[in-house]
Amino acid sequence: MSARPGALTRALTGWAFALPFAALFLVFTAGPVLASLLMSLTDLGRADLLDPLGVNIVGLDNYVRLFGDPKFVTASVNTAVFVVVGVPLTMAVGLLVALGLNSGLIKFRALFRVGYYLPVVTSIVAISVVWRFLLQPETGLLNELLGLVGIAGPNWLNNETFALPTLIVMGAWRNLGFAMVIFLAGLQAIPKDLYEAATIDGARKWAQLRYLTVPMLRPTMLFVAVITTIGYVQFFEEPFVMTQGGPLDSTLSMAFHTYNQFGFGNYGYASAMGYVLFVVVVLLSIAWFRLLRNNLD
Amino acid sequence: MTRPTRRRTVLLAAVTAAALVASACGRDSGGDDAPAEGEAVSQGKASGEINVWAMGTEGEKLSVLADDFMKDNPDAKVNVTAVPWDGAHNKISAAIAGQQTPDVTMLGTTWIGEFAKTGALDVVPSDFVSEEDFFPGAWETGVVDGTSYSVPWYVETRLLYVNSAVAEKAGITEPPATWDELKQAVKDMQEKGGAKWGTYLQPGQTGSWQTVVPFIWQNGGDVYDGENFTLDSPEATEALEYYQSFYTEGLSTKDRLREGETEPKILSGEIGSFVSGPWHIGLLNELGGEGKFELWPMPSGPGEANSFIGGSNMSVFKESKNRDAAWKFVSYLMQPEVQVKWYQTVNDLPAVQKAWDDEALSGDEQLKIFGDQLDKAKAPPSIPTWEQIAAGVDTELEKIAKGTATPADAAKAMQAQATSIGSGG
Repeated sequence: MSARPGALTRALTGWAFALPFAALFLVFTAGPVLASLLMSLTDLGRADLLDPLGVNIVGLDNYVRLFGDPKFVTASVNTAVFVVVGVPLTMAVGLLVALGLNSGLIKFRALFRVGYYLPVVTSIVAISVVWRFLLQPETGLLNELLGLVGIAGPNWLNNETFALPTLIVMGAWRNLGFAMVIFLAGLQAIPKDLYEAATIDGARKWAQLRYLTVPMLRPTMLFVAVITTIGYVQFFEEPFVMTQGGPLDSTLSMAFHTYNQFGFGNYGYASAMGYVLFVVVVLLSIAWFRLLRNNLD
Repeated sequence: MTRPTRRRTVLLAAVTAAALVASACGRDSGGDDAPAEGEAVSQGKASGEINVWAMGTEGEKLSVLADDFMKDNPDAKVNVTAVPWDGAHNKISAAIAGQQTPDVTMLGTTWIGEFAKTGALDVVPSDFVSEEDFFPGAWETGVVDGTSYSVPWYVETRLLYVNSAVAEKAGITEPPATWDELKQAVKDMQEKGGAKWGTYLQPGQTGSWQTVVPFIWQNGGDVYDGENFTLDSPEATEALEYYQSFYTEGLSTKDRLREGETEPKILSGEIGSFVSGPWHIGLLNELGGEGKFELWPMPSGPGEANSFIGGSNMSVFKESKNRDAAWKFVSYLMQPEVQVKWYQTVNDLPAVQKAWDDEALSGDEQLKIFGDQLDKAKAPPSIPTWEQIAAGVDTELEKIAKGTATPADAAKAMQAQATSIGSGG
């Protein structure tokens, strides 16, 4: 059997299998990504719809304008706060729940697992309706409970100080189920004999958590961190359904601002924003992967 | 988490990419801005296929009128596609970019400017649809730089909805006619009428300009004079001061009420009055509010007692393969008796003045007040960038309502933003 025809056939077969994906990827993902990069260098707007090539090339003007746009700066700060507070919060709560489910409550484990995971798969529209009821200033459950202990709760979603924190908590609640599931898998992969050895060495529960569970979970944590960060940088749905970016832009996110600019027909400018967001996601992912690699070595 | 940004980018970019073959860039300079006249439309009955897009309830029910039209024009076939409001703006943009437009589309009154600028809309044939039939404020929504691109189909305007019991307790017998009287009436409703809030004016955020820009008109000012924005004129600043005074004097809540929150509050008398359009008659009646509320026309400041006019228009696309039939269908929709039937089908107020003589409309006391207000209702400037400018105005209005900016500063900020965005001409 000669090697060459065989290799060729194999290569062809391989390409044939890869072709549908490669073609779709090139046409519907890579192409548009490249096109929007080009768009971001032009002043393409709605009036150019019939003649998209008849636009002016403005170079990096859109990018320069971005950083002088007070709304964009506000949106960037809000997004940063959402990520910096939201990611650790989601992970911490997710880990706590996973630890709880992994130890006690064995009887209801499946039930709780479903319960905590449910928000992840529930439509944000349904969630927003329920949350708005809970957060109603006068009749909402939250403020009624606070009233029982003598605290007059604020109008959560209409208050510039509380609106963003409220959305952070909501985001964490929505996404902790995902973190929990991954953490549970991670916890179950830790060999039992390590705990036995630790017990024999006299390590108590807290020491076991601190020096055994957490270090063993590192790779899992970093995975959850990467995924959650990427999701949170593109923070959009919560303000879209709950606050429309208000009050006074206190919940305006980068993705939401970009969405608005597309809506106004400023395609060039909005593409530039999309690209800034894209670069931020790429940089953060690289940073996380560096950390991940160092830890695995 | 889904990624709307990305998806939109991808969609829009795909459209551009499709056209990215090879060509020099650079925008055509010039382009004559002289008002254009629409080409004449052939006589006789319509024939062939007419594809129509319409949004919301209108989209769902338009087939009723389409069926009548097809009975009169047996050779014509009207295909109505219902488009959800949420996606409509994008769908039309994409259709224009892909040159896959329907023959006729419904358009929101504030969209005409931007879509006219794309060059995709056909000019209204003046011999076929005549301006005098319509409310002047409504007709203006379809006119961009002196050329008419769109015909008003139905209209809406804003009035004050008032809790009758509260007003009676406050001793108000006549609707207030001036700004001072309105302020006094609102105060009375709060102090004597037992309302927690004398009124509810939307405290900034999306759409609040529709409440506040009429204040500027009522004060004899305007937002755009055809060349420059006039958002920081003394008249406008005064109107903003008037708006703010309702919050500083504690007459309106600074917290935005969500959809569905206002109606129970007005019926219970917690709120004495609020500003809204004709759809609230139905909403309030559904909650058992029949007979419990009354309507007041807008008051006048030093200027006219103007209100905001909105609604939807009908446009024909230049790319239409069946242009004459398309215009015949549009002009059919604007016949007074068809407008009345449409009112009876979906409760949309006729844009054609003659339709208001019909008993179905003139016999209704509450509607009559809307009809009268429509004579004194204005539309925002039909410039392509208006939606974006309005969004900036909404942001500043929120600052005024919350007291974080003075009306003068907010007016300057609105003016600066509007000027930097430009009129898109």
